[in-house]
Amino acid sequence: MSIMDHNGGSVIAMVGKDCVAIASDLRLGNQALGISSNFQRIFPVTDRIYLGLPGLATDVATLHERLRFRLNMYTIKEEREIEPETFAHLVSSTLYEHRFGPYFIEPVMAGMSKTPSGGLKPFIAATDLIGCLNFAKDFVVAGTASSKLYGVAEGLWEPDLEPEDLFETISQTLMNAVDRDAFSGWGGIVHVITKDKVITRTLKARMD
Amino acid sequence: MEAISHAGTVLGVLAKDGVVLAAEKKVTGKLLDLSSAKDGGYGGSGEKIYLLNSNVIGGVAGLTADANSLVNYARTAAQRHLIMYNEDIPVELLAQRLCDMKQGYTQFGGLRPFGVSLLYAGYDPHYHFQLYHSDPSGNYSGWKATCIGANNGTAQSLLKQEYKDDIVVKDAIGLVLRTMSKTMDSTTLTSEKLEFAVLTVDPVTKQPKAKIYRPAEIDALLVSEGLAKKDEDTEMKAA
Amino acid sequence: MAADTTAARSIVKMKVDEDKIKTLSPHLLMAYSGEPGDTVQFAEYVERNIRLYQIRNLYALRPSAAASWIRRSLAESLRSRRPYSVNLLLGGYDTATHDPHLYWIDYLGTISEVPFAAHGYGSYFALSLLDRGPLEEGLATLKRCIDEVSKRLVVSPGNYKIKVVDKDGVREVEL
Repeated sequence: MSIMDHNGGSVIAMVGKDCVAIASDLRLGNQALGISSNFQRIFPVTDRIYLGLPGLATDVATLHERLRFRLNMYTIKEEREIEPETFAHLVSSTLYEHRFGPYFIEPVMAGMSKTPSGGLKPFIAATDLIGCLNFAKDFVVAGTASSKLYGVAEGLWEPDLEPEDLFETISQTLMNAVDRDAFSGWGGIVHVITKDKVITRTLKARMD
Repeated sequence: MEAISHAGTVLGVLAKDGVVLAAEKKVTGKLLDLSSAKDGGYGGSGEKIYLLNSNVIGGVAGLTADANSLVNYARTAAQRHLIMYNEDIPVELLAQRLCDMKQGYTQFGGLRPFGVSLLYAGYDPHYHFQLYHSDPSGNYSGWKATCIGANNGTAQSLLKQEYKDDIVVKDAIGLVLRTMSKTMDSTTLTSEKLEFAVLTVDPVTKQPKAKIYRPAEIDALLVSEGLAKKDEDTEMKAA
Repeated sequence: MAADTTAARSIVKMKVDEDKIKTLSPHLLMAYSGEPGDTVQFAEYVERNIRLYQIRNLYALRPSAAASWIRRSLAESLRSRRPYSVNLLLGGYDTATHDPHLYWIDYLGTISEVPFAAHGYGSYFALSLLDRGPLEEGLATLKRCIDEVSKRLVVSPGNYKIKVVDKDGVREVEL
């Protein structure tokens, strides 16, 4: 039994047409025993960046607090909000600082990044537990249901989905994958980030 | 202490529903690059008024280099509290953190103290809106209205006469600007010589809202308070 | 306000009258279980630090802030040479916002705010019952949990101490 599977939980992020989505389940467990069905492991970073932290729950809290510290100091000194690419490297370096005693977390992030012409383009990324970055163009997954998420996402995802279609795709992917995983589930949450707003919806799911 | 009495005035007034802070800028001139103050950032031109945390605004008077170092310390202290307790640092505790450090420099030999006085305008759920002042020795105290820097005596006696216990932010803004205009050397207030900030609580989210005004917003405020330049002046300049 | 402010509840007894629920501040209770030596050591460490904060600042830490501090202590301990193995339930009434809070915290530093919680062997019975049961009558539901544990658990403890924290502070109750 791996430490990564102790508390359970999964996160997925997908790219759409001028939008991105990030979703996770809401279960917090202690091995097979369910503790909470409202455990938030996705955190807003700025108005257009969201970060998901699947893995060991104590490190979800610790890493979130550490990143918030570094991010707030960045924002207040730079006098501007961080860009997703910069933030991805902040996450990566924070994790690599603990190369030989890592946080048991595999972060997933989604956001809209500024282009040189002043527009916004979708951005997703994921890292492993020591901060090796993966900038995917379609979708990224992590957590106890990651193997199932890969399979369903591979089948359902297509390029250039509009926000509502992307919501449906990511929700179906999440729900069907976590139903096949004993350590994920117990409800879900989806954030769809578009150019001008964020749509957040909670999903009802099987409670077993 | 000497440096502080020559420094630009910083003035704070505590109201029922917020705190108002204003400061006189000393480094001015038309060659000064103010492009960062006009847009970008959180407002302010970064000489006198700083955001210390989402619930605290600081106004500094004294040696600018020392002040920058203290502001950085305050921001880090606030974030350290956030990481330990998951809440914004209480205002008095932040003032205490800085004073503990300032006091240290008065006690140990070989180092000189920080030549800075600060005003802290903040909000926390324990005591709601608060205004504190700390001096280089590490003393601090809470105030309803106070002033540091040049002419602080004049300003304080003016504030004492005009302050009402149930003052609201709208009136406090007027009081602060009127007092500022009387204590500053120049005859008219403009955004070139003034920094201005207000801390309130957002009625919807119930979270503290720190607003540091941009130059254009200060000028607009001065017009609405009837303290802007007279029309003749502009006409004469044009001619 | 309604009275279903949660009471924390202890589980096993080495001594029939051991109090395993500490009053950390006028509106904060902490129930603890785990490795025998560690529990008391860690509970007293927490108790004194929370008290120190109250003496220094004249007001007590709010439940959410106390929970975060305790969680961080455990998370730091986890990666030390010898971690504390202590599991906690933290119940408190926030006098600034006038609402009750309950936190489930384990020795790893995992934290979760929940409507009901339990640690130890009894938790399997208690949680299953609380998933179904009405939560309006806090003490009655608590009694049903204790009865269920007594009935079904082989190593069921004999006595319970029950404390309630609400707007009036902490008090001990008999069922």
